Amino acid sequence: MSQASQPNPMIYFSAAFGTGGLLSLMVLFNGTLAAYGSLFFASWVPHLTGTFAALLFLVILKPKRAHVARPPLWVYLGGVSGAITVMLTSATLNSALALSGTIALGLAGQMVFSLFADVRGLFGLPQRTPVPRDFVALALIIAGSLILIFFGSGT
Amino acid sequence: MIWFAALAILAGVLVSLSRQINGRLALSTSAMESSFWNHIVGLGFITFVALLVGGLFAGEPTASPWWAYLGGPVGVIFIAAGSWLIARIGAAQTALLIIAGQMISGVVLDIIMGAPGDLWARTVGVGLILAGMWVAQGGKRT
Repeated sequence: MSQASQPNPMIYFSAAFGTGGLLSLMVLFNGTLAAYGSLFFASWVPHLTGTFAALLFLVILKPKRAHVARPPLWVYLGGVSGAITVMLTSATLNSALALSGTIALGLAGQMVFSLFADVRGLFGLPQRTPVPRDFVALALIIAGSLILIFFGSGT
Repeated sequence: MIWFAALAILAGVLVSLSRQINGRLALSTSAMESSFWNHIVGLGFITFVALLVGGLFAGEPTASPWWAYLGGPVGVIFIAAGSWLIARIGAAQTALLIIAGQMISGVVLDIIMGAPGDLWARTVGVGLILAGMWVAQGGKRT
């Protein structure tokens, strides 16, 4: 929006959309693991293989460090938050909420907290204020998602 | 029931929180290094909880198809991409576009895998999401 040397926003746009496609693959792979093993196992295995895959990527790509100075310790705790997510959803999946309710309420929590974080510029990330157009896009995408979640899978 | 609803909302909040923290780490290091720390710290945490609760290897995990084990490397790219995007287009835009991509690719995967589905709901749902993406993208052009 206001950054100077910003490349074509379509790059970010397509990258984010493609990242969502990766999430579908993860749900398929990890969900299949969970059908055979425990829910712990279905989260433990991708974290284990992912740790080695990330190490391999780091060795091959050698990405440049943005800063030499070490960031505060709490920035290393993102993985804990992600792991707790898996445990919470495994609890709600088996409740009356089922899969559709779990996903729908999760989307709500994710969007509200993301907007709040943007407006406040939480955790040292750039502060940004959503414009009316952002809310129109939000309403359309969430409405389409809810239709797919509750009516899309036929049965 | 209300407690489970609160837990499901909290799960969504934690998805966003995790992406913000990883995004902050990526600002100091790199997106891939942030993905590495996300995985190794998450692995340690899950191992700890699984040892407390037990049942990590319950069921028949060895019976699952080989491709089900590919989620890890895909997740590494997923976390790295999220960490990279959030500092550039913000938490809400990142979350919204990832959701759009997940929903539409989910429909495509369902069709490929032959999962039953309502054609009308799929058409309307995908149409609304595409419309939303068109609106979101138009705002960034000026």
